[in-house]
Amino acid sequence: MNLCALLLALIFAAPGWGKEPEAFPDLNLNNPHELKEATRVLEEELKLAARPQTYLLIDLGTSTIHIKGRGLGLHQIPIVTWSAGPREALKGIHRLVARPSVVRRKIEPGAAVEQEPISIADMPTDYMLSFTPSLSVTVVPSVGNDGLLRSAVLLGKVGWHHAKDWVTQFFIDQPAESSSYLRLTLTADHAQSLAWSLVDGMAIVIRRSPDK
Amino acid sequence: MGRIIVAAFAVTLIVILAMNAPTTTPPTPGIGHEAQPSLVENKATLRTLQARYKALSNQLAQLMPNQPYILVDTARNRLYVKRQDEVVLDAIASTGSGTILDKPGEGNNQWVFDTPRGEFLVKSKLTNPTWIKPDWAFVEEGLAVPQNAADRAEQGVLGDYALGFGKGYFIHGTLYTRLLGKNVTHGCIRLNDNDLKGVYKLARVGTPIMIF
Repeated sequence: MNLCALLLALIFAAPGWGKEPEAFPDLNLNNPHELKEATRVLEEELKLAARPQTYLLIDLGTSTIHIKGRGLGLHQIPIVTWSAGPREALKGIHRLVARPSVVRRKIEPGAAVEQEPISIADMPTDYMLSFTPSLSVTVVPSVGNDGLLRSAVLLGKVGWHHAKDWVTQFFIDQPAESSSYLRLTLTADHAQSLAWSLVDGMAIVIRRSPDK
Repeated sequence: MGRIIVAAFAVTLIVILAMNAPTTTPPTPGIGHEAQPSLVENKATLRTLQARYKALSNQLAQLMPNQPYILVDTARNRLYVKRQDEVVLDAIASTGSGTILDKPGEGNNQWVFDTPRGEFLVKSKLTNPTWIKPDWAFVEEGLAVPQNAADRAEQGVLGDYALGFGKGYFIHGTLYTRLLGKNVTHGCIRLNDNDLKGVYKLARVGTPIMIF
């Protein structure tokens, strides 16, 4: 009896013992649709976490971008709002093939004046990322004081995107390549932070939002 | 006239499509479209999904380092030593400047002074390290690259310790502590003396380094 009590005390005293790891703490374990989506994402993530690399998990359920490595959350970026389509195209692993270029300052040999280093403030706030298989991710900053102008620009971009898809599908009679898309609205700081953290060929997995 | 009609048509089309564009809130319903109706009611399926989710979560947790690891945030110039979720050491660092320098006589080839991103391992631990100056250090100063290897050695600039993580990159000390917190290095990660000593004590050869 005493031995049992001692064992129980040890189990509860040890930090983390008896606590099962949960990849998605927000997950409703009684919702089969959420579980199905979570297991799909985990299957994809396991492939990425098995290799020495950093990758992105865009969690539309919790509106958070996770920078991860080996399954560890390294950094989180909150999403203000998002829209996406079509849902089916968001499945699988996508790899970054195009991102905004960075203006790098050149060192002049022997020059007395040191070049200003790149900082996060040099990163763009409004940009598009292209992935393969075909997926485009548009990042726009959340509206601030110049909200009306930004809203107009965003509306124009959305309209242009749809018009291009429509023309491609109607006249060329083939699926529009840019039809799989994700639009993320982040604060300007977070948009810059994401741009900074991207590396060529970086993989992303998207957890689609649960059925509400 | 024809151009005006086409332009007017295009603008009208864009506006109409933009107005019908998805809102920037999460679309619903989502996953329910893909699921089979029988899944929802099937308790056995639910239990299978729950078991699968837990198994995958466990698999992901197994890939996480079970020893202390080093985490470097190059945007904010911070270095952490973490043990699972616990921060064991939090240090202000200096990481790569992102500047470029032409390689003399090599056309468009350039050195890019970025701290590499991704996952690395501590490959070596050195005490009282000697800096073997690479070619860029001479080119940057407008000096000729020495032919004699002994002319590259410089003592006392890397601090008391250095931890190598491959391709000539090190975590090391600095004489320029006032520049800590800024992106000023040629790709190495600089720390002050105390933090460097702490990292040296906590890390072993094989300790993972996650850089984003």
